Amino acid sequence: MRPRVAAAASGAIALVVTLGACSKNTGEGTTVDTNRQQTGVIATDPKESAGPAAEVPGAQKGGTLTIIRETAISHLDPQRTYSFAGLMANPLFARYLTTWKDDGKGGLVLVGDLAETPGKNVNNDCKVWEFTVKDGVKFEDGRPITSKEIAYGIARSFDPDLTSGPTYLQEWLADTPQFDTKWDFKANKTALPPGLTTPDAKTLRFEFTKPRCDLPFAVSLPTTAPLPADKDTGVNLDNRPFSSGPYKVAANQVGVQLTLDRNPNWDPATDPVRHAYPDTFVWSFGPTADAANNRVIADNGPDQSALAFNFVPPSLVARVAGDAALKPRTILSPTPSANQLVINTQRVTDLKVRQALNYAIDREGLVKALGGQTVASPMTTLMPPSTIGFKAYDAYPAGATGDAAKVKELLGGQTPELVLGVADNTNEQTIGTQLKTNLERAGFKITLRNIPDDAKLDEVKKKDNPWDLYIGNWAADWPSGASILPVLYDGRTIKAEGNSNQSYFNDAAINAEMDRILALAPAEQGPEWGKLDERIMKEHAPVVPLYADVAYNVHGSKVGGIFISSVFGYPSFVNAHVKP
Amino acid sequence: MARFLIRRMLSAVLTLFVVSVLTFLMFFALPRDPVSGMCPKNCNPERLERVREELGLRDPLISQYAGYMKGIVTGRDLGSAQGGRCDAPCLGWSYVNNEAVLDTVTRVLPVTLSIVIPAAILWLLLGVGLGMVSALRRGTWLDRAAIGFSLAGASLQLYFVGAVLLLVFVYNLGWLPVPSYTSVFDDPLKWAGGLVLAWLSLAFLFSAIYARLSRAQMLETLSEDFVRTARAKGLPKRTVYGRHALRAAITPVVTIAGLDVGAALGGTVITETTFGLRGLGRTAVEAVRAGDLPTIMATVLISAVFVVLANVVVDLLYAAIDPRVRLG
Repeated sequence: MRPRVAAAASGAIALVVTLGACSKNTGEGTTVDTNRQQTGVIATDPKESAGPAAEVPGAQKGGTLTIIRETAISHLDPQRTYSFAGLMANPLFARYLTTWKDDGKGGLVLVGDLAETPGKNVNNDCKVWEFTVKDGVKFEDGRPITSKEIAYGIARSFDPDLTSGPTYLQEWLADTPQFDTKWDFKANKTALPPGLTTPDAKTLRFEFTKPRCDLPFAVSLPTTAPLPADKDTGVNLDNRPFSSGPYKVAANQVGVQLTLDRNPNWDPATDPVRHAYPDTFVWSFGPTADAANNRVIADNGPDQSALAFNFVPPSLVARVAGDAALKPRTILSPTPSANQLVINTQRVTDLKVRQALNYAIDREGLVKALGGQTVASPMTTLMPPSTIGFKAYDAYPAGATGDAAKVKELLGGQTPELVLGVADNTNEQTIGTQLKTNLERAGFKITLRNIPDDAKLDEVKKKDNPWDLYIGNWAADWPSGASILPVLYDGRTIKAEGNSNQSYFNDAAINAEMDRILALAPAEQGPEWGKLDERIMKEHAPVVPLYADVAYNVHGSKVGGIFISSVFGYPSFVNAHVKP
Repeated sequence: MARFLIRRMLSAVLTLFVVSVLTFLMFFALPRDPVSGMCPKNCNPERLERVREELGLRDPLISQYAGYMKGIVTGRDLGSAQGGRCDAPCLGWSYVNNEAVLDTVTRVLPVTLSIVIPAAILWLLLGVGLGMVSALRRGTWLDRAAIGFSLAGASLQLYFVGAVLLLVFVYNLGWLPVPSYTSVFDDPLKWAGGLVLAWLSLAFLFSAIYARLSRAQMLETLSEDFVRTARAKGLPKRTVYGRHALRAAITPVVTIAGLDVGAALGGTVITETTFGLRGLGRTAVEAVRAGDLPTIMATVLISAVFVVLANVVVDLLYAAIDPRVRLG
């Protein structure tokens, strides 16, 4: 829905396509599983990280699974992968240091993928981490995967030519956002970046200057996919990645079709999550979301074993939701992509006004305006339900449509005049119009100001931006409070521009509490983030939580095992199988 | 003849030069920064700047343009960020598709050619045929049916006709495979099967104009003196209509056809989108959206080449059809 990469530039473009402006009848018999909650843990027992993955009941090997998507996957090179489609496709041909065992219902366990465990916190200070590589893991040419190739993969992510990938490891190792100036990959191809060492072929060691307790999560991103140096084709790796996973690239017509067939050197006994049931995966690019979903709904011939990767578009929602026969072929699930009405706390300094905004919100009306429960699922917390340690609460119970009495009481006869900046894309225009009506009904005076879609994110990231309110979206890279609350609410990170803390919220006590939690062992942090989430909302109300994006997919009658990733909110393929 | 060709070629080169300069300038007028889209959410301004530097986006405009043109003629070294050495005709490196633009073009151009050429043959045969029949059978039910048909074609939109055809023949009846492109050299049957709906819908819409145009032209010609003379000479009907009248009537049709085919080769973006095919048109639109200058340049230049070429062909055809036209 919201391409992660585009969060920096034009996050809403994809939304326009998916959501459109149609409101529609969502029909009976379709419910979003809103009770889903994260019960994530980090596996300490190496057995949990060992393969093979438990069989999926009824799943058989064989067949071709086709994934139809409107546009090509922006990057296949693991070190450059950051889009949702890329993050879902990569595990088919790439393995990482750690990965998520995901039951598709929010139950997550972080396990070792290439590593025997999700990392050893050597001195218990989160500054030194060690990973031991499993035995029997191999590349597509049969060569064993050692710590050297994993380290090389991380090293090449420093190459400024290889844009677009996540930059956590690079920034943490170099201890600066300007990591590519601190360590020049091109000039040191046979060396490793500072802090990264391979004491032996089975051990990979990270040494950081600051505590990095989220490292086990960060190495679940494709940056840690291994690559032998002699297979590094630079920017050309994007079209022909070198496989460490269950499939390898058989053919790739860029922008048209990507065909993956089995990698005979992948050993299921080493893999705790991937099943690799289908013989072949085909990613077919080109058809619009409408066309792809129409094909899959029609369920003819080869499309019986196809999945439309693009969510059911507004034009088809009524039809899909209203057809009981389609129900077994649809997946409807909230995603971890959370949307808020961000309050610029530098301008709206009165806590009562911020609380009144929270009481005023008509979430039911907003969800309807966006297209119903197949598009958006209301939320009242800062972290989405699919976060480890998530605590369900509603600091300002506004009911389904807002609590006018409470708003009146808090405002005490005042009519706050607020400026709401909205991007000129369909999605934000819909939200903006709805919020204006909603908030004015509750006793605010709202002025809508349009911001060019391309520039919106850059503009609200500027500290001195001229708006009181705007719409914000955040989808974390791993379901830990550490990748959400400190990023969005630590006031010490506020700069002149490029801010993720867009409410410009800065409170010394909250900052100190974040430091305290960040210093805890990763496994202990979860519930603490949940508590802090509630505290921030209760004491400061820097945003109005609005809704989580909802994933809504249709697949053919012969497809099984597809679920929505609890981490990224898109269809996962590790359990996918084709029925005979 | 030779002089004509040389003159046309020179003016073609001039046209292409102007088009290329304009495209280049327009790209810089676009509000979109191609680099910011490449950067993940935790990117910082300093890193963005280095990427711009690396991609040569900080060089003066003229040297960027000169480098591009030199690449087409002699090839050039694009640096490791853009795939290294790029042989002539180097159309640059697309940092959106992550491949040499020439590779993109060689993949998508056959798709567009495969859509447009058979469709053009169909719409010309159908359109001119209908026009002739209704002119010769003026006022009969045949004439009215042909006019009705062409009116329908002229008023409908491709995305509608295409969607209906898809729904009926692909999704519901399942008679035809889902539109896709296969090389005609690999499997001609599959090629035709995958594209036939695109041909039919294009032919249906385009033939309307040709039917009306050729009917009007034919009627006008039939009322002219030379046709009466030919009839009076006692020539057989077939010779009068086929040799004398048709030749005169078809000249304007050829002009329009040249322009249409040239423009269609430059990109049938609606057809490609409707049928989920990836030809030159969609590639161009996506390149504009992504701010992918090398791909925009290549697609615009190729479209321009087609239009220019189509015009030369039209002029040559004039001479062949109409003996009054002399090239020189």
